[in-house]
Amino acid sequence: MARKISMKQAINEALDQEMARDPSVICMGEDIVGGAGGEGERDAWGGVLGVTKGLYAKHGDRLMDTPLSESAYIGAAIGAAACGMRPVAELMFIDFMGVCFDQIFNQAAKFKYMFGGKAETPVVIRAMVGAGFRAAAQHSQMLTPLFTHIPGIKVVCPSTPYDTKGLLIQAIRDNDPVIFCEHKNLYGFEGEVPEASYAIPFGEANVVRDGRDATVVAYGLMVHRALEAAASLAKEGIEIEIVDLRTLSPIDMDTVLDSVTKTGRLVCVDEANPRCSIAADVSAQVAMRAFGALKAGIEMVTPPHVPVPFSPPLEDLYIPSAAQVAAAVRKTLKGGRH
Amino acid sequence: MGEGPATIGIIANPVSARDIRRVVANASNLQIADRVNIVLRVLTAVHSLGVNRVLMMPDRGGIRAMLSRHLGRERNLHHQFPAVEFLDMEPISTVDDTFQAARLLQASGVAAIVVLGGDGTHRAVVRELMNGDTGIPIAGLSTGTNNAFPEMRESTLTGMAVALHATGMIAPEYALAPNKLIEVSINEGQRHDIALVDAVISHERHIGARALWKTESLHSLYLTFADPEAIGLSAIGGMLQPVGRRDPGGLAVHLADDGASAGVLLRAPIAPGMLRDVPIAHWEPMPAGQAFTVPLQGGVVALDGEREMPFDAGDRVRVTLRENAFSTVDVARCLHTAAHMGLLRHPSQPHRRHPSWQATRSP
Amino acid sequence: MAGNPFPLSKAELLKAYRTMRTIREFEERLHVDFGRGDIPGFVHLYAGEEAAAAGIMIHLGDGDRIASTHRGHGHCIAKGVDVGEMMLEIYGKKGGSCNGKGGSMHIADLSKGMMGANGILGAGAPLVCGAALAAKYRKKGEVAISFVGDGASNQGTFLESLNLAAVWNLPAIFVVENNGYAESTSRDYGVAVDSYVDRAAGFGLPGITVDGTDFFAVYEAAGEIIRRAREGGGPSLLECKMVRFHGHFEGDAQTYRGPGELDDIRANHDCLKKFAAQVTAAGVISADELAPIDREALAVVEDAVARAKAAPLPTVADLTTDVYVSY
Repeated sequence: MARKISMKQAINEALDQEMARDPSVICMGEDIVGGAGGEGERDAWGGVLGVTKGLYAKHGDRLMDTPLSESAYIGAAIGAAACGMRPVAELMFIDFMGVCFDQIFNQAAKFKYMFGGKAETPVVIRAMVGAGFRAAAQHSQMLTPLFTHIPGIKVVCPSTPYDTKGLLIQAIRDNDPVIFCEHKNLYGFEGEVPEASYAIPFGEANVVRDGRDATVVAYGLMVHRALEAAASLAKEGIEIEIVDLRTLSPIDMDTVLDSVTKTGRLVCVDEANPRCSIAADVSAQVAMRAFGALKAGIEMVTPPHVPVPFSPPLEDLYIPSAAQVAAAVRKTLKGGRH
Repeated sequence: MGEGPATIGIIANPVSARDIRRVVANASNLQIADRVNIVLRVLTAVHSLGVNRVLMMPDRGGIRAMLSRHLGRERNLHHQFPAVEFLDMEPISTVDDTFQAARLLQASGVAAIVVLGGDGTHRAVVRELMNGDTGIPIAGLSTGTNNAFPEMRESTLTGMAVALHATGMIAPEYALAPNKLIEVSINEGQRHDIALVDAVISHERHIGARALWKTESLHSLYLTFADPEAIGLSAIGGMLQPVGRRDPGGLAVHLADDGASAGVLLRAPIAPGMLRDVPIAHWEPMPAGQAFTVPLQGGVVALDGEREMPFDAGDRVRVTLRENAFSTVDVARCLHTAAHMGLLRHPSQPHRRHPSWQATRSP
Repeated sequence: MAGNPFPLSKAELLKAYRTMRTIREFEERLHVDFGRGDIPGFVHLYAGEEAAAAGIMIHLGDGDRIASTHRGHGHCIAKGVDVGEMMLEIYGKKGGSCNGKGGSMHIADLSKGMMGANGILGAGAPLVCGAALAAKYRKKGEVAISFVGDGASNQGTFLESLNLAAVWNLPAIFVVENNGYAESTSRDYGVAVDSYVDRAAGFGLPGITVDGTDFFAVYEAAGEIIRRAREGGGPSLLECKMVRFHGHFEGDAQTYRGPGELDDIRANHDCLKKFAAQVTAAGVISADELAPIDREALAVVEDAVARAKAAPLPTVADLTTDVYVSY
């Protein structure tokens, strides 16, 4: 069977294999190689957390360090994509998209539609998401709903090394702009990953646990919180079904609706802030499209509507926990329509 | 001169040194902020030596705006500057601004005009001064690396020399120097212009981006002076047969069509960072007052490096060297004279930060 | 007869004139049609600035990319985008350059190397860095040119792009079309550094300022800058000083202009008049040879308007197509 590698290694392997397969794939970002122009070693960092380490030795100048200049180089990645390249740009922390958002949502997202279908922009923007690094309000956000709001871009947020490799390969081959969200607390998480190249299609959620009593919808790190909750709930005789969305745009509502139709109860778990979140969107769609199947009110487990705090106890309180997920499941099981 | 308040003029061209030589060679670009600093240093220098009023050309290229901001700050800091007045004219950002400013400065009777710019700016000022015939001298400051006529000199020193002349501390016969120029006339004065350093005939016959830098198109050069230390097309003459600024006569250089028919192949710095091999047919002295007829049938006359006067077959182009055509402040001589005569020595007045000793000097 | 004194053949000169005249007719017609209420949305006209588009684009092929501005019609026409499709687009009709989904501010035709007019000021500069990067990988000597107005030259995207292009030594060219106004605000007020060549110098790039109303000045300067970029000499900046015949957008009363300013620029700074005077004075092209081009340009525009008015509007079926390649 496949060997076990970390999510970080899975990303590296996906980039490596796609760069070897297709010469139009190039990578750019701040310190993705590291040490450019200095007197020390090249490939000093391989990305701020070492995700792209080693790729420079194999692919050379197709990995480009950039100035600290997100508007310019994210825009350049998008421009290069519109001119036949398949750039993978690393935005480091998704929080930094504030300084280059125009290029993402007014340029990349709009070209296809605004130019009457004649433009394609196969760019991938990789960025770290999520809290738990004690990195505070400007390096810890999810922000996934900001991107899903915008037609024209696709949003991916995997929870396992296997999904990460397959979804990143798909993102590179995909002809639309893709925001690829990597949860920084999952970089070290290991799982079985085949060595061969493979792509996982977008818009296909993964039912990671079957259960009859309630449906829990989650993505990214929250899938693991849901799995922890499932283990404790199982001791109480409660079997939850967990749907890992994997891609947020497109989103596989069919799988969610099928599960809710079966269980009659829904808990949406989202590490993004609650207002207009993925959880709110899924809740609204289920309420609209499967109201008759619901046996109880929908529950959402999210952080409070506050920025991510710095101090460890505060940040721990901020991030939705397995206990909160379990509590929400119990609540929805108690509630009911009579 | 020497009686009443001393006034000088300043014409600072904001757009010189922006031409194609920035790209085809590596010619420098003097930034607006640097030009303003040069003006500020002139102002400080002339004020220290008794000039209390300066008339300046207004512009829309940023010098007036930035200078005004600086002077406001300097006033807040109680630094001493002369009164700076901008001429009453509406700038339109063409060479006409320079013409109009030179006209207004002559009418106001300034003692001298400090010019910041390249050869072209100086040519424009002199052309207007020739029309006015007031004999007002200029003091040139080069704002680029591309110039033969104005000097590359610290502007404080130029300002001091100008003030020494403007206040009458040094008499004109010591302070000023005569200069040569070349008159270009097409069809017996139908079109007429001047060059301070070089009138160059090119086969190109269109003006395009103005600056002339393709040596293969050159036909002939008519030079007021030919300095081996100069940059630009006049360097061709400078490397063949030097003729000084103050020497009598000029130099005419005739180019060959190609290297094969050339008597000499000369390597010369025809623009900053650009040495070219130029095929020379022959060269000859250019005595003052003698008209040279250009034998080329159709081309363009470049004046001090810029294509200005296109002409056709049948147009009669004549060039003539004129001596003693206009005056410049001889900065080196002024400063040496001041040292020799002890003009800048004055009694020690330790309690006065801004000595007004010049007001009590002996006449 | 002394022959042609210009560095372009007679055929090229006629082509340049045709380009400029077509832009002028196109824009003046839009001015009239917008005033009549025939055209939806915002329209920003390029009339008066034609020499810059023509003098630069005549050096380019379809493989060279440009990114334009909200004032993009002239760039489109000079880059070879179909005039009929452009008019359909501006009228919001099916079959337009963008099938009626882009409008005046977003006309694009990637097959012609036209990466789009852009409604976001300064947004084209990073895109052009990307296009230039792609050209660098392709190694065919292609270049990419970003157009930006004097106003948008204050955008961080533009300044960051100057830096990125310099750092990566991209075959990118930044053209500042300085028409003196950022919307209604004078350039003199809004730009702290008064020379764009100074801005380029701040990033170690060479820059040139030319009279953007003189086709031949633009032609020669652009030619050198583009050649330099093609041969690996890296990015440069070209400032074209030009005039805007119309307001920032159509419907702009232009009360911020000085008295007599518009009459003066139309009388004395019209790039088409200058071009015609230069080529006729040189005896290369006669007025009789220019007149048919004037008539043909007018006919092309009138035909485009007639077809645009007659063309069908998009329908509900078009609303949700072409958001993604696949979804």
